[in-house]
Parts: sequence; structure tokens; C-alpha cells
Amino acid sequence: MSVSPRTAVADLPKGGSAPAGQPPRRPFWTRRRRDQLAGLAFITPQLLGSAVFVLLPIALVLRYSLYEWNVLAGDFHYTGGDNYTQLLDDANLPQVLKSTALFSVGLVVLNLGLALLLAVLLNQKLRGMTVFRTLFFSPVVVSLVAWTIVWGFLLQNNGGINGLLHTVGIDGPNWLRGEGTAMVSVIVVQVFKNVGLNMVLFLAALQGVPKELYEAARVDGAGAWVRFRSITLPLISPTILLTSVITIVGSLQVFAQIAVLTQGGPKLSTTVLVYYLYQQAFQFHHFGYGATLSILLLLIVLALTVLQWQMRKRWVFHES
Amino acid sequence: MSIRRGLATAAAAMSATLVLAACGGEGSGGDKGPVSLRMTVWTSNKPHLTLFNEIAAEYMKAHPEIKEIKFDPLPFESYSTALTTQMTGGNAPDLAWVFETDAVDFVSSGALVPLDDTLKQTSGYQYEDLIPSTTKLWKRDDKLYAYPFSTSPFGVFVNRDLLKQAGQKTPDELIKEGRWDWTTVLAEGAEVHRSTGKAGIVIRDFEYKEWSNAATFWGGWKAEPWSADGRTCTFDSAPMVDAMTTLHKGIFEDKAMPGPGESADFFTGDAAMTITQISRGALLDGVKFDWDLVPLPAGPGGDYSVIGQAGIGVVKRGGHTKEAKDFLAYFTNPQNAAKFAAYFPPPRDSLLTAENLAKTNPLLKTEQLESVVVNGVKKGVVKPGHAGQAELAQRVRAGLDPLWTPNADVKGVLGDLCKNISPLLEK
Amino acid sequence: MNRKLPLRTRVALYGLLCVLAIPFVFPTWWMVTSSFKPIGDIFAYPPKLFPTDPTVSAYKDVFDGRPFVQQYVNSLYIAALVTAGTMIVSSLAGYAFARIRFRGQNALFLVVLVGLLIPSEVTIVPLFQMFNDLGLTNTHWPLILVPVFGAPSVMATFIMRQFFISLPNELEEAARIDGIGYFGTFRRIALPLARPALGAVAIFTFLQSWNLYLEPVVYLSSPEKFTLPQALTQYVDSYGGAMWNVQLAAASLTAIPVLIVFVIAQKQFIEGLAHTGLK
Repeated sequence: MSVSPRTAVADLPKGGSAPAGQPPRRPFWTRRRRDQLAGLAFITPQLLGSAVFVLLPIALVLRYSLYEWNVLAGDFHYTGGDNYTQLLDDANLPQVLKSTALFSVGLVVLNLGLALLLAVLLNQKLRGMTVFRTLFFSPVVVSLVAWTIVWGFLLQNNGGINGLLHTVGIDGPNWLRGEGTAMVSVIVVQVFKNVGLNMVLFLAALQGVPKELYEAARVDGAGAWVRFRSITLPLISPTILLTSVITIVGSLQVFAQIAVLTQGGPKLSTTVLVYYLYQQAFQFHHFGYGATLSILLLLIVLALTVLQWQMRKRWVFHES
Repeated sequence: MSIRRGLATAAAAMSATLVLAACGGEGSGGDKGPVSLRMTVWTSNKPHLTLFNEIAAEYMKAHPEIKEIKFDPLPFESYSTALTTQMTGGNAPDLAWVFETDAVDFVSSGALVPLDDTLKQTSGYQYEDLIPSTTKLWKRDDKLYAYPFSTSPFGVFVNRDLLKQAGQKTPDELIKEGRWDWTTVLAEGAEVHRSTGKAGIVIRDFEYKEWSNAATFWGGWKAEPWSADGRTCTFDSAPMVDAMTTLHKGIFEDKAMPGPGESADFFTGDAAMTITQISRGALLDGVKFDWDLVPLPAGPGGDYSVIGQAGIGVVKRGGHTKEAKDFLAYFTNPQNAAKFAAYFPPPRDSLLTAENLAKTNPLLKTEQLESVVVNGVKKGVVKPGHAGQAELAQRVRAGLDPLWTPNADVKGVLGDLCKNISPLLEK
Repeated sequence: MNRKLPLRTRVALYGLLCVLAIPFVFPTWWMVTSSFKPIGDIFAYPPKLFPTDPTVSAYKDVFDGRPFVQQYVNSLYIAALVTAGTMIVSSLAGYAFARIRFRGQNALFLVVLVGLLIPSEVTIVPLFQMFNDLGLTNTHWPLILVPVFGAPSVMATFIMRQFFISLPNELEEAARIDGIGYFGTFRRIALPLARPALGAVAIFTFLQSWNLYLEPVVYLSSPEKFTLPQALTQYVDSYGGAMWNVQLAAASLTAIPVLIVFVIAQKQFIEGLAHTGLK
């Protein structure tokens, strides 16, 4: 990062301001021009970074999606829309999209639900809440791969989870090998890892709700649930929206968990779009098709973003 | 701000950079001066790497043009992916180990360079010594594209203590009685599990994912996953259905094998028998139980054996093919191949004798080596591989998943599997 | 909520919290205790909460023939550099987007936001190609440059922008009238006020870099360059046999120091995150 343009800007006001008493000749360095220059200078590192490390690669992916690329042979040739035709004919794709949707919806619902529950519990005036807060948050700082590897051991059919269940008389399922339970496992592992983040954000939002509102509602005879629904929820709705955006976008990027726990199986039940893309590009060497799947992923993310923007208008109670 | 205008701007930015995308290419300059060579391997076993480095050090003494020779262990499970990823980005190694299942892909794609000229011209190499059955998989149009440094038959390692503890006969007794077959083995495995709680028999590295290792089971039924020309699926053939039905019963009814998602390691004493390659024999060092090594049990189709292979190829895009070929010729010459024999059964006729192998495998007895290794290499069927292996393997794996549940309809699952993979086979 | 809860409610609450805490605590507990078990005990039934026959042999094997110390250093220094770099880039950009008015501001902000929406898997291969053309594969540069300037830093910029928007403007206006210029105002007035948000960005970024998995796997090929997550998955050796306890020992060594730092500084940590201005 170069500092010089900025210091130059900083020096400008002295030289640029017109002496008093002169006819109103507008100085070249007006506030607007200076703002323009300073603003651009401040965002330059980020903007250049975006251009080089985000936009350019996206453009390259668009280009690759029109090519067939055999990695082993180094063969790279133009195929027009073939990859897109393949996308429409791909018999696996419906299942992959279903898995992706299941994962994202399951993750968001469980994560936000649990985060809110934990935040409400921790918001009670009780001793020792810091201890629990620390415990719930602790997986966030444990390395993702370490956390996933440990759960991989625990979720084995003869692993710790079923051992624990057995001691209380429950015959646990074969978590990572059943079609339904594998998805549940991957979601749950991810939820326990990261729910602490959303919990903390919710806790901060809950603490920001003015106490007087509750008192007033209590005087009016509103029960705990009514108070929660008509005061708490609307007031923390911006946080709910924000956390759901972060969680959904994050859910579409899940990779390490699936690579370590299930490798997409059994069948395609945990093959989410990103994992399928990885398989096609890096394992099956269909790089052009992988790029096409990237485009699909991109479109899905854009569509979700627009949707969330619309929901924000309708649902969010107020905005700062 | 309006989201629509914003998106339009974003799209404009994208299409502007698309123009930039037009200029791009691959650059791999040929270096001058001393060369560094890199070989990707999937072992991180210390004795293996020590041996490789010793051989490389010897070579570099005589070859000042080679600055460095590096053996680069990539994780076993994701080896092929990691290797092709490196090649994608132009970070190709100079030499690479290749799995037998990937052989078709690597040999036919042009990723490797032919080796026979260099090997034949290297004095003292004795190219004719290479056993034809071991090089078959690595040849195309009569050119050799990789050296099969390991031709390792599958055998059964046995924990005799555990079998005796469960009141079962040991394999040597069974072999004498002529009853060393899958029916007996599964019955013994079931009994071991019932009476000791430990695992009966484990097909190592299978784990209901690496299905090609199950070839060590269905081989007993003379079953094959696809026809010899690779174009027809035979997962739904009668021998395969019989084999899989027996396997399914062995897992879910008899509990002779640990089920899906259950771990049991033979070498830590948690299983009575394990099917694995002879190259895993080094793990027996320091085990505390009385063990044996015997050939695979017979199936309804009679005796059979299965081999796993690993080749070393010179990667075309590594950039230093000449230097790499020369080094490979040294690395695999008769003297060094003899050193490898401690871990990897060699593809050379002169070396593949039980007496020879016994010298470098102090843990194994001559008759064990004779019955499992020498006979195995000579008549063994190589684990199944096919063009487009990675994708096919993934499809088969997904297709077999429904089989690994207690109430599976074996015939139905295998029929569906064939329907699913036929388009890939016909390609 | 000022009045004291009745005893029965309190007991029920504590009970509920304890049950809920199990899945958060048990895995870490199991990881650490199992790393001291002999390998045969890891899948023992019933599961052992304590190692009956503790051994540290797995911890010796973690370092055996593997550059684990170097890998540790790699992860730490990469995460530190990425954190420092991201704080600079994102506070500058976030400040400008929030405080300075310039033409194209909103459009440029959206262009930057594209990075927030792009899963890294989408762009990994073109990026790999670019770095390869520059001869920077199998170096740590891609793991530092991309997070600091590329998509991962956009979240940080977003947090900083939201925070600056929520700050009252008067101090800065006063400073600007005093003539200390844009950068002076930013550095001496705005930045000190943004300490909580910067703290949150630092924590976020550090954890993200610390957890990075796909990128190191793609870019790095020599074990001495590896980062910890990648190193952890290498404790599997088909020829070397099962290494479950060694893998767990390595995982424990990865997780425990960060956990200790976190527990000591948990108040600043959590409250820093809570005050991201994301309200």
C-alpha cells in the first residue's frame, strides 16, 4: 500500500483554500474533488484486490465453462455450450441440488434456532453465565479440521456417540452411513462448531432491547411468550437477518466437513453443490464442467441475495 | 442504493474482466543449469523414504547436473486428486507414483512419457528381466509408460492367538484339510466375533468406500465388475450377485466382518484375520500375537489371487523428462530393485523368488512368500481399473452404498448400479 | 428481568444449560483424553472417559519424521500477517465507504461485495493458475495475498463500514476543520474509536485463516510448507498403519493453545465480537 497519495491529500486544504476577500473564484480542490480523491485512495487496496482476486477469476471461470479441459493430457479446446447442455442433462444434479438445499435450510434453521435459544438462556440474570457462554463459544476457536476429525471418530458406528447412547439404553444409528443420518450428522457437527458466533451476536442484540419495554408489557399483562414475540423478535430482527445471510452464504461453502466426514456419501446424500463441483473439477478432471457448475453456484448465490434483500424490506422491523 | 443498478454494475465489471481473461496461457520454461527433481509418492513411512533418499544421494554423487531429488509424500486417500491438481496448475512433479486403478487414465492420456528406450539403453538395466504380466497394465502400443515398482499380491494375515482363543482352527490346519475356503473363513470370523467381541475378518482399506479392494473377495466367485473390453457392466452377472449375497450375509447376518462405519485394526490385535497386500507386512514388526500369512481362501470359483500394482512414471509436463528418465533408470535398476524388495515385490524374474524375498523380508517365512507372493504375482488378477477411473469409482461407490444396509436387495442394487454406470463404460 | 427467578426455575435452567453444553465440550474432552490412550482403546466399548493406561507415545510420534513445529509456525505467522493486513485494508475501505462521499461509491461498494458472495471453491483454479504463472505456488503468498485483498477481507470491510456508519460524526468533522486531513482524521480520530470493531475483525480473520483448508491443500505441496489443518489430515498412513491416536494428539496440540488463550481472554474476545456494529 502506498501512503503518498493520502498524505498529499492531507496537505491540500492549506494550498487549496482561497484567500478571503478575493472574488469568489472556485478553488480547484473543492471539498467534492478532495472527497473523491481521498475516497478512491482509501478503497484502492480493496478495490484492486477485488478486481484481481475476485472479478478476474470469475471471468476466467466463465471462459473455462466454454471449454473442455483434459487435465492429464493438457488438452484444452473450445466446446461452445456443451458444458451447459451437460448441466441440463446431468442426472445427478437434481439430487445434488436437493442435498444442497437440505443442508443449507437445515443448517440455518438449526443454527439460528439454537443460537437464539442459547442467547435467551444466557441472557437470564444468573450466576455462572460467563462459564456457559465460554463453553458454548469454545468450539469456534477449535480448528475446523480438528473438530471434524474428532466428530468423525465419535460418529463411527462403534464410536463414542453410540457408546454413550448405549449406556443409557439407546441403540444409536450408523450415523455417517445412513442416508438421512449422514446429512443430519454433517449439519449438527457444523452447528455445534459455529453456533457460538451467532449466539454472541444474538446476546448482544438481546442486551440492546430496552428493559422498559418489557416492564410496560408486563404491566399490560403480557406473558413471557407474547413479550418475546412482540417485543424481542421485532427488535432483534436486523440481527436475525444478518446472521441468516452470513450463515446461508457460509453454508454454501461447506467443504472440509464433507471431505473429512462423508466424502459426499452415502449415495449422493451429502454431495452438496460445492463438493460436487470439487469432484468434477479436481477428481474427475472435468474442469470445464466444474467451471460451469461454478457459474450455477454463482447464480444461486445471487438469487438468494436478491431474495434476502426483498425480505429485508418486508420483515425487518427497523434499520439504523 | 438500488440493488438492480448495483447488480448491473457488478455484471458490467465481470464482463469487462472477461476481456482480460482472453490473455492467459501456460508457461513452463526449461531451466538451465542444475536441475531439481521431484517425485510424488503416497507413503510417508520412514524406512521407505530413508531408502529412497539413500538411492537418490548415491545418484547425485555421480550426477552433478542434478541439484536435488525430492520425494514428496501426498496423503494416500487423496493422492490422485492432489497429483492431478498439481498438474492442473502446471506444478507437475517430474516423476509420480501411479495407482493401478489409475493406470488406464495415465497411460492413455499422454500425461506420461514412454520409458522403454531409456531403460533398454541403460547398461546393466536388464530390461528383459521385467516380467511381462507385471508390465502389461502400463503399456500402450508396446511402449512402457510406467515402471511397476510394486506388484503386491493380497494375502490373509492371521492372528493365530485370537483364532485359538475363539476355539477355531488355524488356517494352516485348514489348508492341510483342504477346507481353506470362504465358507469356513466366514464361519470362523462370525464365531470369533460372537465369542470374543473382536472383529472376525477385515478387508483392509475397503471401509465400504474403496470398493476395488472387495475384488479380493468376489475374485473367489470369478466375478468381474465389467467385461474384459471394459464396455459392459457385469456387476449384475450371476457370479457377482452370488458373491455379493454371500458378502452381505457375512457382514449383516453372521457379523463375520465389521460393518460399515466400524473400525477395527488387525495390527493392533482387534481382528482375527485381514486381507491386505504383502507390502503391509512391515506393520507386523513388534506385534504381540502369533501370526501367519496365507493365500486368499478359495471361493466357489476355485483358487484365485489378486494383486495391487503401483507404477512410477515420468510426467511429461514436469519439464525435466530427460533427467527424470535417467534417474528412473537408476532408481529401478536390478541392484536398487533388490533393495525395494524389502517392501515392494519386484517385477523382475531374477528377483522374484522366495529365497530372494526372504532375505529382505525377515519377518516372513520362505513358504509364506512362495505361496502368497511368487504364485500371486504370476497368476494374479490386477485390481479393477478403467478409463475415467475417478468418476467411475465414485459412481460405483455411490451405487453400492444401498447394499451396505441390513435389508438390502442385492440383485436390485447391482442391477441399478449397472444401469447407472453403463453410459460411462460405453464412452 | 430484574427480579430474581424462583429457585425451581433456576435449577431447571442450570440443568438445561448443562445438558446443552455436552456436545460442545465432550468432543474436545474426548480428543484430549483419547490422545493419551493406547491405540487399541480408542474404539473400546464402553467408551472410556479417562485413559486407563495413559501414554504419551502418540505425542512423540506427532513429531516423528514430520515437520510439525514448522507447520505450527507456518499457520501462526500466516494467520498473524493476514490479520494485520486485513485490518489495514478493511478499515481504510470501510471508512471510505461509510464516511467519505465520492462518485461511484455505492456501485463500487457493490462490486466489492461480490467477494462476499463467492464461495472460494468457485475461483480457486483460476487463482491457482495466476499464482502459478507468477511462480508463487508452493509458497505462502497465495494464502496471505488472497485473504488480505480478495474475497475473505470483504466481510471485514463490511463490518468496518457498518461500525463507522453507527459512529457519531462530530469529532471527525471537528478534526477536519482543524486541518489534519483525511488520513490524519482516519488514523487519529476514527481508528481509535473503532477499536471494538477492529478487535472483532482481528478475531474473525485470525480464525478464518487458522481454519483454512481447501486453499493450502491446493497451493502447497511440500510438508514443511503445510499449515496445521492440512497437516492434521496427513496423519493417515496406509503403510504405517492406523495412526488414530497420533492424529488426535496432533489435533489436541492444534486446538489446546488457542483454547487456553481464548479462555483467558474470553471476555474481550466475545464482547469484541458482539460489538461489531452488526446490529
